[in-house]
Amino acid sequence: MKVYDVVPGLEFDPERDLAQSPAWFLDATHSVPPWTPMFGWFWINFCRHGMQYGAEKLSLPTVHGWDWRFMNGGGYLTLLLVQSEEEKQRREVEFRKAILPFVQDYDGIWNGFVKEILGRYESLKSTDPEKASNIDLLQNFEETINTCRRMWEIHMYMMYGTYTAYILFENMCRELAGIDDTSPVFHKIVSGFDNKVFQVDRRLWEFSKRAEDDGLTDLFVQSEAPDIKSKLEESEKGRAFLKDFMIFMNEDGWRMQRMSEMNLPTWVEDPTPPLGMVKQFILKGGSFNLDEERKKLSNERLEAEKQVLAKVPAEQRGWFEPLMRLAQKSGVFSEEHDHYLDLYTHAMMRRSALALGRRFVKAGGLDHHEDIFFLIPDEVRKAGINPAQFDLRPIVERRKADWKQWQQTPNPPAVLREGFDLDQAMAVLVKSNDPIALKVVVGAMPQVRPELKADLYGTCGSPGIAEGPARVIMTEDELHLVQEGDILVAASTSPSWTPVFSMIKGVVVDRGASLSHAAIVGREYGIPVVMNVFEGTNKIRSGQRIKVDANLGTVYVLDK
Amino acid sequence: MAKKWIYWFEDLSSDFNDLVGKKCANLGEMTQLGMRVPPGFAVTVEGYERFMSESGAGEEIRRYVTDNRESLTQVEKQVEAGRKIRQFIESKSMPPDMAQELHRNYQTLCDRVGIPDLAVAVRSSGAVSMPGQMETYLNVKNKHELENKVIRVWGSAFTTRAIAFRLEKGMEIEKAPIGVAVLKMVNAKCAGVVLTVLPTTGDTSRVVVEGNWGLGESVVSGEITPDQFIVDKACGEYECTISAKTKMVCYHTVGTRVSDVPEKIQCEPCINPEELQEIVRVAKNVEAHFNMPQDMEWVIDADLPFPRNIFWVQARPAKFTKKKENDSEYLAELMSRVFRM
Repeated sequence: MKVYDVVPGLEFDPERDLAQSPAWFLDATHSVPPWTPMFGWFWINFCRHGMQYGAEKLSLPTVHGWDWRFMNGGGYLTLLLVQSEEEKQRREVEFRKAILPFVQDYDGIWNGFVKEILGRYESLKSTDPEKASNIDLLQNFEETINTCRRMWEIHMYMMYGTYTAYILFENMCRELAGIDDTSPVFHKIVSGFDNKVFQVDRRLWEFSKRAEDDGLTDLFVQSEAPDIKSKLEESEKGRAFLKDFMIFMNEDGWRMQRMSEMNLPTWVEDPTPPLGMVKQFILKGGSFNLDEERKKLSNERLEAEKQVLAKVPAEQRGWFEPLMRLAQKSGVFSEEHDHYLDLYTHAMMRRSALALGRRFVKAGGLDHHEDIFFLIPDEVRKAGINPAQFDLRPIVERRKADWKQWQQTPNPPAVLREGFDLDQAMAVLVKSNDPIALKVVVGAMPQVRPELKADLYGTCGSPGIAEGPARVIMTEDELHLVQEGDILVAASTSPSWTPVFSMIKGVVVDRGASLSHAAIVGREYGIPVVMNVFEGTNKIRSGQRIKVDANLGTVYVLDK
Repeated sequence: MAKKWIYWFEDLSSDFNDLVGKKCANLGEMTQLGMRVPPGFAVTVEGYERFMSESGAGEEIRRYVTDNRESLTQVEKQVEAGRKIRQFIESKSMPPDMAQELHRNYQTLCDRVGIPDLAVAVRSSGAVSMPGQMETYLNVKNKHELENKVIRVWGSAFTTRAIAFRLEKGMEIEKAPIGVAVLKMVNAKCAGVVLTVLPTTGDTSRVVVEGNWGLGESVVSGEITPDQFIVDKACGEYECTISAKTKMVCYHTVGTRVSDVPEKIQCEPCINPEELQEIVRVAKNVEAHFNMPQDMEWVIDADLPFPRNIFWVQARPAKFTKKKENDSEYLAELMSRVFRM
């Protein structure tokens, strides 16, 4: 019996899959380092489902969404292109109808989905992991699977619709007003908005003020982040603080330390990261600088809006203005969906899986509850109701050995058919006009301008110029190394990185497009972001002084 | 003898749409309806074609498009093509006999009004609605400047979107059905719009008039809060909301600029009851003629006596109630084009 496929039916098969498509790209943003088997199973099955669902629901004229495969812990994806011209035209007619709700009632759609998905999370949380029967726990796990599938449907439907509007807005700004998405005026138009992720940061800042008021300043300042919780438990004031903090965690702390993985604790289980952020806010002192920044940005935005609207002929404003409003929602959506969708669902997956993992350990089928991440749902089901009857260790052992192997050999960035090169493959992505390919996966290619004599060339994610010491951060757990005034250098960033943006002067990321996390958050904090430099984390070392000029897309290493 | 390519508004009507473009044909039609429009003339689509062929610009564009046909499917290349084509056009001067004829008609216009070097507006007048930017030049003051601005309006037909549209439909790229309107600038005391239907509710029993000091641009663009008069069509009774109008658009040496409204008239109504009733009367007539609610633009001249001071510059069927949906549908259509680039 062969039981070792991680994602049955969707394991990468070089012969057949390269016959289907000449190029498969590694999703380096989400699947490096390689996934645990259970997480990979969820992602490959349902992200794939969601992308095809979204593309089909909206009848995107040129693409049927994406296909995914699993290979050694990596997610590989390729476009499913619409083949005939006739079909494209047919789909275009349908698309015009399908996209209308986005134009007419964007907030209604998004708020409706948020409500729906939060309702599902509440229902999942109503199962008590300690007291529930095995049957109920398994039922909770099945519901989690369905929630994950639904989450990806909402995710991709919204993302396709939202980003299409954003791209059109970029095009129209270029055409009617002569500005593109590397222009500071453009960035001003799309910044200065609050969103859920910032609201969470603000709550953390409020807790820093509370800690000061409660006389807990020294405790925070003198403790390392992992010790803060136990130190708080030692005093009455500390316990009261912690109690309220955990209430907040139960509301908004359902997020993962690594966005696309489930083997690290959520904030609810281990509040070390958010308590560390409270500490950072105490050290920094002063007001929540995003408030002032936002005020400034919204004023600048109104000014920039006027500037652009004045260039648009009066009779075109009837549609241009709603388009602008829609594009402005892209940034908010881009941040909020991480919070409400990916992070929260993955936290629910972890919660449900660990509950079963503990039962399996108790029944003797596993050595450690976290070993459940090396099983896939069919194997969980096998032992779900009668865990005492099944020894799952042999499966775990082999998968764990594989997983360790994956961690040591990086997955190739693309798997290509013979005779097909990466440039050709990228050209196919760009030509598809798939909004996710354009705005998230590929991004604009940097222009190398030798006359600027820069060390790295990228694109402008957020305008501005800054100089300071570089801080190269590869994973979230190194974030506490970031210091006030640093310039962050990373492969890419995600919502758990947001709080450090209040401390840094600039950002350089290897990959990203104008709707990637670093660009959106950089704009909100008014700091320069240079993206798509490809080799930043390779060429820059922590501590080196660097200068970034996002307006020109250049990075200079000052002390080589 | 070369074909006639300049027509006075009073010689035009809506039948001339293809020849002179919608705006000019409309001004002609308004004249036929007895509405006072600013005096002026239309340059026909044939005038444009003649310029393109005699100046050599048409040939340059054809050559450029043939050489670049492959790459013109990319939007960046279309943007570049637009720039190039506008350069080809704007770098040419008008063939001498065309220039002469244009100057002669301009002189006639100056004579008719009795002002040498009369200030005119030069506006594009497309025969088909083409989304995008079409230029308007205000306050053009001599024959050479006029010549130059007419050429620029022709060049403005080459927006990226227009190019993409023509390529997609397999139309010849250098053919643009564009006419030009040349008309006297009114010395605007105040200006605004009148709608013979309430746009928010679709109520056709009342007329809404909006106006501000200075030129009409400030009202049309929606940048200021104008005075608003809602007039009952049957009895003529009206409600008015007089706003503090702090800014207005005025002529400048070249073109226009936004300037401050003198403080003492900011809160004064910009039209008097007599003018209001005259505007409503004409609007109702035009609505009755077309049997369809109208959206019209008026200007009141500072120098002429009532009622000769009221000029009409635009009349078109009013978009109402369904307007929002139309914009949404148009936006949806634009979004679908994102996939075609």
